[in-house]
Amino acid sequence: MQPAPNTEALDEHLRVVIQALHGAVSRAMPHVKDDPKTADQAIADCKEILDEVIEGKVSEWLK
Amino acid sequence: MFNEKVELNDFEKQDPEYQDLLRRVLAIQADCEIGGPNLYVKNILPTAPSKVDQLIVARTAAEEVDHFRKIAKLAGDIGVDVSYVLNWPNEKRYVEAFRGSIKTWEDYAVFGFLIDRVGRYQLEEFIDCSYLPLDRVVKDSQVIREEEGHIDFGMNKTAEYAAKGGEAKERIQKAVDYWYVKGLDMFGRTESYRSERYRQWGLKRRTNAEAREQYRQECNALIEQMGLEIPDPTKGRLYF
Repeated sequence: MQPAPNTEALDEHLRVVIQALHGAVSRAMPHVKDDPKTADQAIADCKEILDEVIEGKVSEWLK
Repeated sequence: MFNEKVELNDFEKQDPEYQDLLRRVLAIQADCEIGGPNLYVKNILPTAPSKVDQLIVARTAAEEVDHFRKIAKLAGDIGVDVSYVLNWPNEKRYVEAFRGSIKTWEDYAVFGFLIDRVGRYQLEEFIDCSYLPLDRVVKDSQVIREEEGHIDFGMNKTAEYAAKGGEAKERIQKAVDYWYVKGLDMFGRTESYRSERYRQWGLKRRTNAEAREQYRQECNALIEQMGLEIPDPTKGRLYF
């Protein structure tokens, strides 16, 4: 069976994206009260990453 | 009834109808997984009531993107590129519930409570299905557990608003009214020929009507427990 083009590359790209999102959330969550700046930064990072996912310019991701 | 179990290497040997149905169901599932974040990230991530809520929205979206990734990989392995759904406008989504946008926290909460619950039902259909790579994704990974986390969060928030009474309760009732019928519609038509074919090929377990009825009873009990009114199950419905 021939896989669809870019199957592996898209999978790998999204793995990195998901790790980055989980990393940002995990780092910020314990410090929401004592370090709100870290939380704000994490939320901004997540927003930026998710905006790119939602834009969905797959060909650019896989360049 | 088809009782065999199919591995990736045997996919091309299967009946063309089996191949078509599997390609189709994976494309729809991938679309539904990415459809959620497309509905709520833009408006809800920046405006959720607290930083903790904002981080939970981000984590939920990350988990849905991961579910998309897993389904997209299964589809890609059988030659179907589902990446087109990543840049689809919401209006083009396969399932009507994903064609708008979520603008209020109440809608976000009820979306988790009711629509992610349909997502769990959809994933449960694939448990013990005839296509083993799909069966393994739903059984061995965290997909269903994460979906349950989204449902619980949404359900708790919905119950919280209902318990406040007054305007908060009215707003959450309005959101329940809106999403309840969308959820019922997500199961498709009762007399669906394709649904029967999915069952025939062992790709799904329940008929649309059976799954919808189980869902309806489960939701009705929870809505009643919250002191909310069960919406009219026919008002605004598209599929019966």
